[in-house]
Amino acid sequence: MSVPEQDTYLGRIRELTRTYLAGGPDCFGAFADLVGLLLRLTVQLGTGGIVLVPGPRPRDRMIVYGAVGDEASLVPLTNGAFLRLHIVLFRERRGDDFRLKVEQAVYQYQLDALGSRWVFRYDYLRQPPDPHPASHLQIRGKLFEAEAGVYRGMLERTHFPTGRVSIEAVIRLLIEQFGVPANKPQDFWRRVLAESEAEFERIAYRPLSGPSR
Amino acid sequence: METQLLELSRDQIVARIERGAKSRGVFLAAPELLQQYREGRLEDPAAVADLVALAALLPDDDPLFVRP
Repeated sequence: MSVPEQDTYLGRIRELTRTYLAGGPDCFGAFADLVGLLLRLTVQLGTGGIVLVPGPRPRDRMIVYGAVGDEASLVPLTNGAFLRLHIVLFRERRGDDFRLKVEQAVYQYQLDALGSRWVFRYDYLRQPPDPHPASHLQIRGKLFEAEAGVYRGMLERTHFPTGRVSIEAVIRLLIEQFGVPANKPQDFWRRVLAESEAEFERIAYRPLSGPSR
Repeated sequence: METQLLELSRDQIVARIERGAKSRGVFLAAPELLQQYREGRLEDPAAVADLVALAALLPDDDPLFVRP
């Protein structure tokens, strides 16, 4: 990949980041375009990986949704597996301005379209209805120590508290730890993800690991 | 904007919630699913969290949110 091509992509990423941070009416589209671009440059198979769903409510809330599967919200990956991706966004007034906020995010790595062969899942829910950590990781695996006392006796039902996990971190995890092939050279996608993730880390809301009472 | 916009009607949202839940082994109508989710009564709420989130696109006074 040539240096000018890299610079073009990085410029586009900075532009989209500025637009969604500004919180204007076009912030939803900019955020969706950014997520789509990051996926296309890295682990997504083909094009058309995500859609933006406004719904009939007044347009202060939208969902970034994996485009494959009517109700499964899947992004096809370069290794034939899938990422279930679902990010609920809303605009919140701050004085005279608005800010784009994430109400919920789901990133689930799964080997089949149905999701019965899921591997791990990151969930973030700004206001969870249950005592589970607002930001957590679940792993569908088997624990070697049967007496460990995991939640409901199953490791996959255990909610490990995490910090906020970005889409950039999930993409990096898929490439670096799960061997999902990247669409672009390593020196490029690492730079792109690092730059985009730095902005997310600067503004991300970090919830407590559970309710206070 | 490069991302495709997918407009969903209320009926399409409800249908997606119910089809998605069924495909994941949760055989509940959308109002029951939402109520059990909010009350923390689902066995594995995270498995349907993305479906429940679709309801957030509906107005607050939608019948889906009215408790029986």
